Amino acid sequence: MAVRILLVDDHPVVRQGLRTLLEGRPQLEVVGEASDGVEALEKVNSLQPDVVVLDVTMPRMNGIEACRLIQQKTPGREVLFVTQHDSPQMMREALAAGARGYVVKSNLARDLVEAVEAVSQHREFTALARKPHAR
Amino acid sequence: MKLRILLADDHEIVRRGLCALLQKREGWEVCGEASDGRQAIEMAKQLKPDVVILDIGMPFLNGLDATRQLLQYDPHFKIIVLTITDADQVIREALDAGARGFVLKSDAARDLVSAVEALQSRRMFFTPRVNDLVLRGFLDKGHAISRNEPPDLPILTAREREVTQLLAEGKSSKEVASLLNLSTKTVETHRSNIMRKLSLHSIRDLVVYAIKNNIIQIQMPPQPSAPTESTVA
Repeated sequence: MAVRILLVDDHPVVRQGLRTLLEGRPQLEVVGEASDGVEALEKVNSLQPDVVVLDVTMPRMNGIEACRLIQQKTPGREVLFVTQHDSPQMMREALAAGARGYVVKSNLARDLVEAVEAVSQHREFTALARKPHAR
Repeated sequence: MKLRILLADDHEIVRRGLCALLQKREGWEVCGEASDGRQAIEMAKQLKPDVVILDIGMPFLNGLDATRQLLQYDPHFKIIVLTITDADQVIREALDAGARGFVLKSDAARDLVSAVEALQSRRMFFTPRVNDLVLRGFLDKGHAISRNEPPDLPILTAREREVTQLLAEGKSSKEVASLLNLSTKTVETHRSNIMRKLSLHSIRDLVVYAIKNNIIQIQMPPQPSAPTESTVA
């Protein structure tokens, strides 16, 4: 059975990009999209996805808070963070909130499919960028 | 003939999304992808695309300065800038730099195709807020766009702005020299000219200047969410 995935990011372009990376894999199915934490909770409730791909920075409710609430209210879902925060501290916070995976956006083309598959099998997957980027 | 588009954004996932949007259109082709402003300039010179789409917040050289440099090289380039903010100052700079399109990243799914179409038929495309700003400036008597602060940007040359960005990104004079193919001594001369022109006294001041003037953009850590229990079903 295919892994059912919910994509959560406030930028439609990024959701489109995530979709492009995941589509064409028969074992993965994107079942829905949400653009902030509040909408994510509603969609998790109605769609019961296996994996929630979550951005950290979003309007209304950020991803960390959404992750906490997802684990509280509808346990059994795995959360994978996909974020531009290349920070060990943010990663620890995400895992503490109940996430199973944390991938930075710069490495997505390489890591996304593998990360989704790993967390769907309840294995931890984390990947920060190799070189810190002074911005 | 195909319409050839060059795409520059430092996030691969965003490029994927933009490519998917643009290539849905028959006859459009993304002929190249760049991940920073310097690479974008190189590729634009080489590929001569019909339309160039530049993200503003890119490493090494931001999209606004890349716009300026490209149009200086060849004023016929048609450039759309992509931005995460439509703050007045950023809009002004984009217009001053010569961009013909200004699209908010959050609206790209809706606006980017329209923007490319507009440029293709020699029109311009701006997000609605830009039109408001331009109109307001026009109504403010004659001035194209009203300015609240003194325009402190043109003081620096294109090269000095490039050096400013690289220093503000935390690179040493030696690293900047090797990136720009200059001697370390030349970079240090640029650096002291920049500091003198802007009356800055430390690299810290320079970083603040670079952020204030959109030469670099910083990521803000997420704000804690307001309590939302009541809004959740």
